[in-house]
Amino acid sequence: MSTGFFADRPGFFRRLHPVTRILLLFLAFTCALVAQRPLYLLPLWAMFLLAGWRAGAMPGLRRVWWLLLLVGLASFGIWTFAFGGTESIFSLGPFSATRPGLIFGAGMGLRLGLMIFTGLIFLACTPVEEFSQGLTSLGLPFAVSFALSLSFRLAPLFGDTVRSILDAQRARGLKTNRGLSRLKTYVPLLAPVFAGALRRADLLAIALESKGFGRPGRRGSLYEWRVGFRDGLALALLFAVLAGLITLRFWGYGGVSR
Amino acid sequence: MDAFRLEGVGFRYRGGARPALSGIDLAAAPGERVGIIGLTGAGKSTLLRCLNRTVPAGFRGEFSGRVLLFGQDLAGKKPSSLADAVGLVFQDFESQLFSSFAELDVAFGPENLGLPAAEIRQRVTASLAAVGLAGFERRDPATLSGGQKQRLAIAAILALRPRLFLLDEPTTDLDPEGRTEVSALLGRLARKGMTVAVAEHEAELLSGLDRFVGLAQGRVTLDLPGPRALRDSGLLMALGVRPPDAVSLADQLGLASLPLNDPAAAACTLREAGFKARPNAAELIEEKDGGRKEPGAFIIEVEGLERLYHGGQGLRGVDLAVRRGEFVALLGRNGSGKTTLVKHFNGLLRPTAGEVRVDGRPASKLPPGELGRRIGFVFQDPDHQIFAGRVFDEVAFAPRNYGVDEAEIPKRVATALELVGLPDAAEADPFVLTKGERQRVALASALAAEPEVLVFDEPTTGLDYPAQLKVMELLADLNRQGRTVIIITHALWVAARYARRVVILDGGKALADGPAREALRDPGLMSAAGLAMPEAARIAKALGVPALTSEELALALERR
Repeated sequence: MSTGFFADRPGFFRRLHPVTRILLLFLAFTCALVAQRPLYLLPLWAMFLLAGWRAGAMPGLRRVWWLLLLVGLASFGIWTFAFGGTESIFSLGPFSATRPGLIFGAGMGLRLGLMIFTGLIFLACTPVEEFSQGLTSLGLPFAVSFALSLSFRLAPLFGDTVRSILDAQRARGLKTNRGLSRLKTYVPLLAPVFAGALRRADLLAIALESKGFGRPGRRGSLYEWRVGFRDGLALALLFAVLAGLITLRFWGYGGVSR
Repeated sequence: MDAFRLEGVGFRYRGGARPALSGIDLAAAPGERVGIIGLTGAGKSTLLRCLNRTVPAGFRGEFSGRVLLFGQDLAGKKPSSLADAVGLVFQDFESQLFSSFAELDVAFGPENLGLPAAEIRQRVTASLAAVGLAGFERRDPATLSGGQKQRLAIAAILALRPRLFLLDEPTTDLDPEGRTEVSALLGRLARKGMTVAVAEHEAELLSGLDRFVGLAQGRVTLDLPGPRALRDSGLLMALGVRPPDAVSLADQLGLASLPLNDPAAAACTLREAGFKARPNAAELIEEKDGGRKEPGAFIIEVEGLERLYHGGQGLRGVDLAVRRGEFVALLGRNGSGKTTLVKHFNGLLRPTAGEVRVDGRPASKLPPGELGRRIGFVFQDPDHQIFAGRVFDEVAFAPRNYGVDEAEIPKRVATALELVGLPDAAEADPFVLTKGERQRVALASALAAEPEVLVFDEPTTGLDYPAQLKVMELLADLNRQGRTVIIITHALWVAARYARRVVILDGGKALADGPAREALRDPGLMSAAGLAMPEAARIAKALGVPALTSEELALALERR
């Protein structure tokens, strides 16, 4: 019932306060947005690859590397031609690839990939309950943060149900790869999936309430989190990187101009 | 002051054809352990839901009457406000599990109560230990077996330390070891002063209770002290409970009663009453067991089958060969690999190593669809497959997928529905049938493809006793007609009565494979596999008779 990327590995990142992890994710996204040139993004990638390796995010990366590649190549392709500029390298019909476009496109691919990868690092060291706890600590009402995290939790559960239903229908000869008639073959899957999902959602709401969800008053927690030195250190390090990038941009480095 | 009191309680679910409950007047004293029994659809679950206010708060319908919990009127209360007073383990226990770790599922209730972390930790540890899940704190509940999940759901309610503990069929997915643990747990809770109410079909769990309340069509039809009700097999059968073997045996032998759950004492009572084994007892039992065709050639062969999952569970080198016409029961603890094994028979799973052969040919080389056509599979939950608006279309689904001529379909459907005892249901909406009927529709759907082998995962789970008998007699009939039947079951009486051969899995390996009569009477083997000999077999063993069921034992005994 985890998101599927969580690696229950003790270590530096797992010991960080959930709020720290959320803030680090925010800072990492901002770093990726500020840096535009591959030359500045590659050291960031190196830093986050090291962090990802320490946090146990590599199995997750192996599962979705194709997504990163796809996003990277698509952005590279689009921005190389769409960025514009005067220094044309070659043309494809009415579209011209420019040198700044090439750099910006490569940078955009790296930026989007980095954002996905830092998300993976976050998921690798943060079960949904801690994400919810972090959001609550940041001031979001528990009911809202819990509902948000529940959507993460229910996705794999939903997947399990779909697999069971698929097994049951395949055992009766259902083939799910029949070209154009494919949609029709999904009817035997959709009816039990939706009926089951609705029933499950109803029961879940009742189960939550019968376990005291929504009671007035302060809510307790099995895990007690305290902000410590390591939280300050991690935030200070990433903030310093971000500040450096912003300063460089301010002085005219790291950006791409047409 | 009563633990709970219902006064004239009635409830009709929105759209329900009749009230689920009607004019219920019922009370229980603190510390009492009450069994709620009745056929499927009698209103047991609704009654329990009324006690924690999820009916009417969580289900739309018309509610009437008054419910008092420890003297407090529940009218207008929210279920969440009662969480520390009353806890309910749902029949669909999986809906109560939604966390990343087992310990978080258990902690969820105490967290909502606003308890300090140390207290929550202490409750989590104690509750997991109480259900035999110590050491599972960091396990993802999704990776647990059905029985382990059921125990986790119980632990999660236990951690709320409610004064009234309600369990809705809490042992459906449990192996015999798990059932014994839950039964012992209920005893411990009652000794601590907790009031317990259990809706259940299994006599084993009910045998420790103080009192039985019988429901039929939403009304209380019986309210008796536990021991008295348990000794009346006619009454138990009428209320959907399989009578304990000792009770059935006493009935068949014309005795007033036999000691329950104490085979040695039961055997002693029988001896004192003048019963002894007939000289030809073994032949008589063999004769009764006869009438089935002798097994033919091998149809399924499994060699060195391995299938490993990330969690480490799976199969670790299983060898098995099933002959045509056999009736095989796969037994074993929760998570021992039974379902994983049978999913290889029809290609739903591919082995990590080893081979499965069907009729001598490697399963991996058979054309797509052939495996499914030859090896019919009925899953535990019929709702995972039912999708059509008519029973006819549901049953016709498999033959149509296998390319059976459309002109032949009506005949196939009619035959299959006739076989499962639903000859007039073709035009019915499968979603309005009872669970037992839906399960029979699922079976008909598999039969309509005319498979050579029928694999049934837990055919009796979630059904009341009459429905269990119906489905098992049906499988026995199919086997007598020559069909190979393989069942997965935790109900040892089912294996004892119907299977001729049992395969016991443990930790992904075959611990034993042989005649049911030998395996089920081997106390060492049963204990090693976390199983327990059926009560009748234990009484029979004490009397030196090779019987497995009360019927066989009654046949094998004579009075001096």
